[in-house]
Amino acid sequence: MSAIVYSSLLAMLCIGYTLTYIISKIPNFAHGTYAGIGVYIAYTITNTLGLNPYLSCPFGFIIGGIVGVIIYSLVVKTLKNMGGGAVVLTISTLAIQIVMNALINIYATFLRMRSGNWAYMFFLKMHDFKLFGYQGIIYVSTILCISIVILLHFFLNKTKMGVAMRCTAEDPNLAEILGINSDRIQLMAWFITGGIATLAGTLFPLWFESSPTTGDRLINACMAGSLLGGINNIYGAIIGAFILGMAEILGTTWLMYTFGTGVGEYRYIIPLVAVIIVLFVQPEGVPWLLNKIKTRIKGSEE
Amino acid sequence: LVDASLVRAAIDIAMFFGLYVTIAMALNFQYGNAGVPNMGSAVSVAFGAYVVSGICLRLMYVIGMKAGIEIGPDYVYDNLVNVANMNTYFSKHPLLGIALFLFAMTMGLVLGTLFGYVVSLPAIRLRSTYLMITMIAMSEASQIIGRNYVPISGGTLGVRIPNVFAFYSGDRSLLLAIITLAVGLVSFFVFKNMLNSPYGRLMRSLRENEVTLNSVGKNAIGIRRNILMFSSGITSLIGVLLVFYFSFSTATNYTMSNFTYWPWLMLMVGGPGNNTGTFLGAFLVIAMRRLITIYKWEINQFFWFPIAFLEQVILGVVLLVILMFKPEGLIPEKALHIRGIDYNKIIEEDIRIDWKQEKKRAGESKQGIMDKIKSVIKITHKN
Repeated sequence: MSAIVYSSLLAMLCIGYTLTYIISKIPNFAHGTYAGIGVYIAYTITNTLGLNPYLSCPFGFIIGGIVGVIIYSLVVKTLKNMGGGAVVLTISTLAIQIVMNALINIYATFLRMRSGNWAYMFFLKMHDFKLFGYQGIIYVSTILCISIVILLHFFLNKTKMGVAMRCTAEDPNLAEILGINSDRIQLMAWFITGGIATLAGTLFPLWFESSPTTGDRLINACMAGSLLGGINNIYGAIIGAFILGMAEILGTTWLMYTFGTGVGEYRYIIPLVAVIIVLFVQPEGVPWLLNKIKTRIKGSEE
Repeated sequence: LVDASLVRAAIDIAMFFGLYVTIAMALNFQYGNAGVPNMGSAVSVAFGAYVVSGICLRLMYVIGMKAGIEIGPDYVYDNLVNVANMNTYFSKHPLLGIALFLFAMTMGLVLGTLFGYVVSLPAIRLRSTYLMITMIAMSEASQIIGRNYVPISGGTLGVRIPNVFAFYSGDRSLLLAIITLAVGLVSFFVFKNMLNSPYGRLMRSLRENEVTLNSVGKNAIGIRRNILMFSSGITSLIGVLLVFYFSFSTATNYTMSNFTYWPWLMLMVGGPGNNTGTFLGAFLVIAMRRLITIYKWEINQFFWFPIAFLEQVILGVVLLVILMFKPEGLIPEKALHIRGIDYNKIIEEDIRIDWKQEKKRAGESKQGIMDKIKSVIKITHKN
């Protein structure tokens, strides 16, 4: 159960991460921190205002989108116009990650001061509804993940905006020649990715223990998932996220049964090792493997 | 005469300046001069520290046992008693202590270089952003391993390190500060000379254009590996000195924020590609950080949250501001100064034109050709 929820949320994060990478060509290290923001939106809505945790989803989407837009228009766009390379842009996202993490921590301290509640390590499982004996988050996360994938597929393939977005991803200069406002497209992409990531973050505390460092931990898994799915492929990102999510939770559980509970501490190392192995062995990830299998089957048929 | 706490603060700032300026110079060596964005200096620092806590500490115990000192068997829980015993032993044997210290430094340098080779194996074939991702992943992994694998650094409890300067009755940190500053100075001259050497120019060309470098038959991957190894060794040496300064080693000390982001900030503030700038940047940042740490209580009166988060906000915001408004840093990079070579002269010599021929062929005035040459010279200067 844990693995399904985790994988669905991770898939939502990985889609956004991959989309940012395709459109802007930078690894966005601040992506996990969107989820951190989502976690604290959920906390505020549920514990401070006393509302249903699912109400935080739309708020999370909008706030995350706005944060994404602010990051893009204040920092990324300025640096791009100045002619900063990929390294400079990546350093800037790292700086944003540090700042946002610190702000989340400060907000958590503020919450503790205001309400007297412990706002560092918490989860909201008890506020969830139950359906057929299972927690509602299992249905919600799975359905949300699938619907986001379908919506995104529809958006990218059927709408004018989506086609323009794919054009920009292929070749920004050519797209601009064709009269596409690539600036607006990028803004849209950052809005969508920020929104989806924060949405995933708001659902996170419904099943898992959350803290201000949640975002930091998720970014590693998110990077690993995207790399596993070949960083240029949104559908690959979903596969990668599910493989990684399952490996992280089921694999750790299995290892703990085999070698004792001491192994459980090393859970967060799995995505890191995955990153290194994928980059070392085959930077194109799983799609490369699938393609190879496909060509082999075709070859045998011929 | 002088307030003791002020002396202490000055020593503290000097020590941290020595440590960080060396790390920042190593980063400058990699990023500023060769364009290798190494985000993994925290790994090397942690490795140097683990060399001391994992290898040298055990060696000290073995020597102590041979000399007939009672050494408890448990690495973590008997640590305090063992260290106290070792300290009394070292206070009687100053030469042994110094020898062990030098041994630890050598081990840090040698093993750190080897470790750099191991790190470079997966990282070497990757370019800029992928390299950064790999290095960040490695730093996180080193944190997790260090926290959970007890034999290398005592896990979350940490281990104490015996005081090898126990014979010196005064402030031990003064000695270490002097040694660290000396290391910083030596590495400054080493880096400076390396940059002016043919190999240094090779590195600059790697930064400017890798394809051209490959096309003239140089091995770009080999150069990158050597750079990573060299700077990993020096950064590990800093890890060794750090552990001796704290007399304590725990994995949570060697965080990414402490040993990757702050040195990067120094590098960016001072200006990449320029060791003098790195000196300036490191001094400014270290002075600010240590003063914040020393006057923590007074500053914390104004804020409701812990000051550590304020530090992080400052780190991120200053980094962003520098990147956006002053990407070349406080002291921009200058052309290399090599004795006996005058760049302006070379440029003048390169473009030697037969005026009469040129006039006939192009049918242009002398002034127009002059303007053309000037623009060419400008472009060469820029590059």
